[in-house]
Amino acid sequence: MNQFIIIGNSAAGIAGLEAIREKDKDSKVIVISDENYSAYCRCMISYYLAKEVSEDNLLYRPKNFYKENNVELLLNKKVTKVDPKKNRIICEDKSQLGYDALLIATGSTPKFPEIPGIKKRGVFGFRTIKDVKEIEGLVPVTKTACIMGGGLIGLKAAYALKKRNIDVKVIIKSKQVLSQMLDFEAALLVQKKLEEHGIEIIFNQDVTEVIGDEGELKAVKLDSGKVIGCSLIIVGKGVSPNLGLVKDTEIKVSEGIIADGLLRTSIPNIYVAGDVAETYDITLGKHSINALWPIAVEQGRLAGSNMAGDKINYEGSVGMNSIEFFGLPIVSLGIFKINPDDKSFEELKLNNVKENIYKKIILRGNALVGAIFAGDIKNSGVYLRLIRKRVDVSSIKDKLLEANFGYPDVIDLIKEKEKLYV
Amino acid sequence: MKQLYYDVKKCLGCKSCEIACAIAHSVTQDLFKSIKEQRLSLPRKKVYFSAGKNYPVSCRHCEDPKCVVACMSGCLTYDKEKKMVIHDESRCVGCWMCVMSCPYGAIRPNIKTKIPVRCDKCKDKEEPVCVQACPTGAIIWQEEMVIKK
Repeated sequence: MNQFIIIGNSAAGIAGLEAIREKDKDSKVIVISDENYSAYCRCMISYYLAKEVSEDNLLYRPKNFYKENNVELLLNKKVTKVDPKKNRIICEDKSQLGYDALLIATGSTPKFPEIPGIKKRGVFGFRTIKDVKEIEGLVPVTKTACIMGGGLIGLKAAYALKKRNIDVKVIIKSKQVLSQMLDFEAALLVQKKLEEHGIEIIFNQDVTEVIGDEGELKAVKLDSGKVIGCSLIIVGKGVSPNLGLVKDTEIKVSEGIIADGLLRTSIPNIYVAGDVAETYDITLGKHSINALWPIAVEQGRLAGSNMAGDKINYEGSVGMNSIEFFGLPIVSLGIFKINPDDKSFEELKLNNVKENIYKKIILRGNALVGAIFAGDIKNSGVYLRLIRKRVDVSSIKDKLLEANFGYPDVIDLIKEKEKLYV
Repeated sequence: MKQLYYDVKKCLGCKSCEIACAIAHSVTQDLFKSIKEQRLSLPRKKVYFSAGKNYPVSCRHCEDPKCVVACMSGCLTYDKEKKMVIHDESRCVGCWMCVMSCPYGAIRPNIKTKIPVRCDKCKDKEEPVCVQACPTGAIIWQEEMVIKK
């Protein structure tokens, strides 16, 4: 009988424990979280703030989940150090726990820019239920809110606050929204949608100072010198992986904790999954962090199975995301923006302005390496499959952007035994 | 467990299955009434034409469902006994992660209702309505079978 410890109680951690339990019913499994909640869906907190989802519906496993799985859940416990030499972890409260195999699924934390006043009351990250509860406290007294950053977190927060009838101003350093997942054309469609619904977006500006007295937030100051009055700020300037606990150990770290093909760290009985893991990226051809719920679940499951004795190889992740704002659905897969001078890529585009549909496909050699679908996201999973399997698509190139493109067009290419069509 | 199979040689692409499916999933269960419903019922099945043949495409209820892995709201679960992906629509927020992940393109977004549509094998009925709706017998409803090619 082994003792498995999982640090992290979200997508990767839960998937890890479920995978362990599928193979091993007897070993002891301990899940540790520095939060005070049963597993909930982080990506849904914007719906919770918008009052579209109740707190109960954020929980994505039943109340008796841990008991049913015979798992010990330790909440409000922060792991400060991993000691691979002694196979133990050390917590903030000085307690220590030993393990036979460890899964690090600690996720990430919002980055806060180092500007004057950023620590004032009323400035929040947007990642936890706790964040939402604190923001909720300010909603009744807030007329204007500023969002720092035009990434997914910032825009989801903007959407939620707008739904709560707050004036929202999104301040973005670059010239487009969602610069980490969309090209300029697709971003423009999102921008229009947000603006149509009354969200103000300020481009090419950064917040240089948070103004207020005695900790109380009053306004933000921009590069231009302009001052915008607000009583609530949400910071969406990216996240940094929570890897403090492996500092000064032999565990190899780059941007995140580096995972090998079995999702082990450089220490064989320590595994890593989710937003803290730097894994092989199929389209980039190198290690990268792809912080997304489905990827975290996939990695957690695989790491859990391997902890319980399997030797399954992780084929790698593809950066991707799916979002919707006010009826405009968008999917971004793999490489979404290329340098126009780089002749190794080829772009195919479809821009149907009348119907608000924009599609773009990026090829390298004869393989699909990326795509953007805005307005029409049907069959995006089929494209993802072509990307993952690095399929030669030269024979169907002219069909790729057709409206009736679908799975039947790729049956012969993916070389999987087809069971349903006889 | 019974599964839907398709005899591609027999499929004419008439889309009778699509219409029957949309009606079966409407409120009124009637063609002419259902097209006047506030939220138009969408078919869970789509017939695609490729390389001279017609292929009905719908959820296969994969044993290793990518959509369940991708689901961030917990509304999708895989029922091992029924061998089916179960969709609890009351918990679904329309994030479209399942649409992005389905390797068959069998889950389609209903943008108006913010809920994806997918085959539920007509769970309350004896057999999926598409089976009877198919005029050529191209849709086969039977226990898992070994392919003979």
